[in-house]
Amino acid sequence: MKRFLAAVFCMALFCSLTGCKSTGESSAEFYAMDTTMNVTAYGTGAKSAVSETQAEVDRLEALLSRTRSDSEVSAINSGAADAPVAVSIETAGLLNAAWSYSHTTNGAFDITIAPVVSAWGFTTDHYQVPTQPALDALLNAVDYTGVLVEGISSSSARVTLRKGQAVDLGGIAKGYASDCVEAILSENGVERAMASLGGNIYVRGTKPDGSAWRVGVQDPDRSGGFVGVLSLSDAFAVTSGGYQRYFEQDGKRYHHIIDPATGYPAESGLTSVTIVADGNKTETPNTPGNGTMCDAFSTAMFVMGEEKAAEFWRSGAYNFQMVLVTEDGRVLVTDGLADKFEQEDGSGYAYETISRTPS
Amino acid sequence: MPMKQSPALRPKPADALVVLAVILLACAMVAAVWGGGRGLTATVSVNGQVTETVDLSRLSDPVVRELSANGYTLHVRLFSGGAEVVDSTCPNQDCVHTGHITQAGQSIVCLPARISVTLSGGAENGVDAVLG
Repeated sequence: MKRFLAAVFCMALFCSLTGCKSTGESSAEFYAMDTTMNVTAYGTGAKSAVSETQAEVDRLEALLSRTRSDSEVSAINSGAADAPVAVSIETAGLLNAAWSYSHTTNGAFDITIAPVVSAWGFTTDHYQVPTQPALDALLNAVDYTGVLVEGISSSSARVTLRKGQAVDLGGIAKGYASDCVEAILSENGVERAMASLGGNIYVRGTKPDGSAWRVGVQDPDRSGGFVGVLSLSDAFAVTSGGYQRYFEQDGKRYHHIIDPATGYPAESGLTSVTIVADGNKTETPNTPGNGTMCDAFSTAMFVMGEEKAAEFWRSGAYNFQMVLVTEDGRVLVTDGLADKFEQEDGSGYAYETISRTPS
Repeated sequence: MPMKQSPALRPKPADALVVLAVILLACAMVAAVWGGGRGLTATVSVNGQVTETVDLSRLSDPVVRELSANGYTLHVRLFSGGAEVVDSTCPNQDCVHTGHITQAGQSIVCLPARISVTLSGGAENGVDAVLG
């Protein structure tokens, strides 16, 4: 009997060893902003962080979506060309950030491209190639300097647009959402997490096993293939590429990244641009940070092309790294990212490093 | 001074059997909880909820699943190396255009149907996330 009891107690003791495995993982997959979103967090605050993340993304969609009739963006688009429209400080902040990104890239990123994007049918998925006269007329309204944000108080601001203008925050909404998600994770004391908001990535800390998060960079020319894998922690990463959304007509492919200068899909010699930046140091909730910046610059650098993008990066005006994939079969990685980028063997691409001093 | 063992405390063969049983149970539990090396696995989710998990490494022949949600129907082919959507009633066919997925971290999503198939496990060189 004593022997039996001793055996039972020992077994119970060993059973408790399995408790060491628990990582406090919580994750969710949900649909918002016309795409799939995934967030995984670890630790005691994980469950509430994941739940707050979903609620926050839904709130941002309601605030910023061009296709929701009661969003602040819809209010701006339907009224601000006639008279100032009141908006929240949050929307004003995002508009101001968008203005800075436009200014610093000489308009390669421009939220007033909205009427042109609609003319191509990208807003409704009823694709069409606009006529040149139609595009020329719409291009008159594409000018980020027409967006005025004034009367900023502690709770609101006023926005006016020039006649014929409309704005689309789709190019930075997911990036901004990722900044907001970072703040939520921080507030909940979560130290390890990964969020993919429609492919806009934010990784916090490292994985439970201590290794960096492995983030794949897709090969624009090979469905399911990668050009490489980034090893990241405490970072934002966003990719823009023509392969993500396009339609074909009369044998020609038209993608969704419109060049604000021409009104046509950008043809800059690049097939994708990935921008990587550090997690935000000041985690002030609901302000645009590096997530927003990566989103805006992935579009801007795609429009600008290899040379101008490299020049912009070298200027040091903003702190980020990038991976460019070119139409002529090269993958270019800025030197600050090279040691975190694992090339994909057999991808068929030639790999090069973009260094601080031009060669 | 050497310890004298009292006859009642001297280990007997039955004690050895008990020790062995406890050790074996401990090993089995550790292996069950900490044992890694799961094969490539496909997780099917509808409206964000997991509906099925399939260990692809156990498939000798491919299987096709018919999935319907939110007014759309698609057929997913699962095989030992991965998955693909063979056809779908959705308007843009993005899920079909995605082609095969073969590595952990990759997924195919049919947005209108809100159906996703994500791969996990398998070989070490999988990714945790894919840039969009």
